[in-house]
Order: sequence, then structure tokens, then C-alpha cells
Amino acid sequence: MDLLLFFEKGIWFGLAAIGFAILFNVPVRTLKLIFIIGAIGGLTKTLCLFIGINVILSSFAGSVFIGTISIFAAHTLHAPPMVFAIPSVIPMVPGVFAYRMMLGLMQLSGKVPENMFNQVLSNTISNGLNATFILLSLALGVAVPFLITRKETIKRINQNNKKNV
Amino acid sequence: MSAVYNNNQIKELGNTLLKIGSLLMSSGANSRRIRTTVERISEAFNCSVELLITHRALMISVYDSDENQFHSNLKRTSPHGVNFKIVSGISKMSWKIVEERWNIEQINNELNRLISLPHYPRFVILTMVSLAGSSFCRLFGGTIMDMSVAFLATFIGLFIRQESIKQKFNPYLCVFFASFTSSIIASAFVKYAGSIQEYALSTSVLYLIPGVPLINSFSDLIDGNIMNGIVRSINGLIIAFSIALGLLLAMQIFQI
Repeated sequence: MDLLLFFEKGIWFGLAAIGFAILFNVPVRTLKLIFIIGAIGGLTKTLCLFIGINVILSSFAGSVFIGTISIFAAHTLHAPPMVFAIPSVIPMVPGVFAYRMMLGLMQLSGKVPENMFNQVLSNTISNGLNATFILLSLALGVAVPFLITRKETIKRINQNNKKNV
Repeated sequence: MSAVYNNNQIKELGNTLLKIGSLLMSSGANSRRIRTTVERISEAFNCSVELLITHRALMISVYDSDENQFHSNLKRTSPHGVNFKIVSGISKMSWKIVEERWNIEQINNELNRLISLPHYPRFVILTMVSLAGSSFCRLFGGTIMDMSVAFLATFIGLFIRQESIKQKFNPYLCVFFASFTSSIIASAFVKYAGSIQEYALSTSVLYLIPGVPLINSFSDLIDGNIMNGIVRSINGLIIAFSIALGLLLAMQIFQI
């Protein structure tokens, strides 16, 4: 893969993340970091795809990475992790898969030539399933690091147990 | 350590906590965050609190430490609009309340300050989101020409959405208007300008995707707040459906 093209992709991932960050009205001090997190997450996904991992697992890897960095970012910049994680994960949304699925559904609901039907049907289902699973893996990937690193709440549960005893 | 409050003080505390909860809910925090924030603040006041969180209303009962006084109340949450400045501001405030022993009046002042914080200037929002749209287009493999079409479509679509939100249309209808506008612009280019590829059309509506409801719904579901998770995911699905409807209509008009 061309190295220059790779880093160019990083810039686009970062810009898309920044756009959504501004749409969600994040604090100004977090913008720089959101750019970096979005770019790194997107590049992780691109790298996984390049190695030959399938698109669902690559998206999962990218979003887990984003979730993990945003926890550290939250500690240093004093903002909730979701402020970093949600804008940065959105550039990985499977827009084209969803669009192709819709196109397929429209074709299927209209007149399809007899010999083409099976192909259109299988394309539509494959695109739709890809879009759904990528979306799910993005949401799961962001949520998993939060679930693992919940020291505060675990501490609180222990204290409550002691009180009850 | 016990704190004795009179009835009015408990009432004030309960109402402030409800205000915080409903602000968090409408600016896009998940249920776990709302619960921990409200509990953290009430602990700082030596009160225990029970909270019922739903999508459109919050219910709270506050007890003081002797359980002599208690206060229950219900509050509707205002219509949802994602605003992470409020989420992070309240999170910062909740730690300050614990560490610096704020009183209720200070909390209310800080809340009013957070609400009055300005959004980004409108032109900045429009430009940056359109730039994000064209970045999407580039990521999916578009050329410079496709990118500029995506930029234009996103810019005008987002403008329409902001205007229709100002006119207080139904939120799903606002999404539909925006998606229809964007896709009609993009599909006109795809149909009549030969060199524009379909990437321009498929990425011109991506600024509308319900990222916050879907991700929050997932984290709620995993966390055990199944009801909230389902409600949020259905909200996200309806938004996605409105986007699809607008796209579909535009594509039918241009016969793509």
C-alpha cells in the first residue's frame, strides 16, 4: 500500500470525526484529540483490512482501539469518554453497504428479470448483513473498553456491601 | 455522619437533581452516566436517592440520612438534541461538588451557565459538517468532483434541517426533509453530470446517521437497562428509516 495514500486516509478520517464533533457541540479543548483519535482508529481499520481481515472484524478492531484511547483521553482532559468515542467512531459507519442494500431492495420490489433475481437477492442480503454487523460491532467495540475499566463503580459496590453487612 | 435537612431543602435538592438528570438525558448521555452522576451528587449531600430513568421522563425520590424527610417528584425531559458540552460540563461539576462541598444555589448557577453556553457559530457547523461529508466520500473512493458534490449536498441539507428544527416540525420529519434535499441535489448531479459517481449520492446523507442514539442504545442494553436500550434503538431506527425514505423518494424522482 502506498504510504502517502495511507496517511491521506488518516486525514480524511480525522476531518470526518471533527465534523461530527462540531455537530454534537463538544468542548473546544477536546477537538484536537478527537481528530487524532478518529484518524488513528480509522487507520487501524484500514491496516486490518490491508492485512486481509474481513471488514466486520476490522471495524471492531478500530472501534475497540478508539474506545480504549478515549478512556485515557477522558482522564487527561476531564471530559466523559463518550465525548471522544462517539464522534471518532462515526467515520467508520458502513454508508455504502447500507446504500447498496437499499438499492437492492428497490430493485427487488420492482420488476426483476427472472434470471437476475437470485443474484440481486443474494447481493442485497449480503450488503444488508454487512451493514448491520458493522454497525453492531462499532457499538460493541466502543462499549467493551468502558465495561472492562470500571474501577470506580466496582469500588462503590464493595463499599455498599460492607455497609450492608 | 448525619445531615439533617428540613423539608424545603430536600425539595430543592430533589428538583435540582431532576434538572441535572433531564439535562443529561436530553443532551445524549446513557442511563448509567445519569444514574452515577445523580447518585454522586446526592452522596455529597449525605442523602440517598432512588431514580427511575425513562426516555421522556425521570422520577426521583430523595431521602435524608435519617429518613425523616423525603421528597418525590417527576419531570419530563425536554426534546432530545445532542449537546456534549452539557454532558462534559455536568460531569466536571459533579466532581467539584464532591470535592469543594458546593451548595444547591451554586449548582443551579453553574447549570444555568452551562445551558447558556453558546453553540459553535452556524457557518462553522455547516462548513465542518460538509467537510466531513466530503471526507466520507473520499474514504469510500470518490474523486475531487464527487467530494464537492457531497459538500454542496450536505451543506444545503443541513441548512434545511436547522431551519425546519427552528420551525418546530416533528424531529423525524426534519430528518426526512434534510435527507430528501441532500439526495435530490446529489442525484441530479449523478444523473446529469456524467463524471459524478454514485459515491456522492450515498455519502451525501451520512451526516444524518443516528450515531448517538444507536451507540447509547447498545451501551444501555449491555448495561442491563433493557427498556431504555430498546426505546433508544427504535428511535435510532425511525431516524434511519426517515433518511432512507428521503433517499428513496429522490432516487425514484430521478429514476436512478
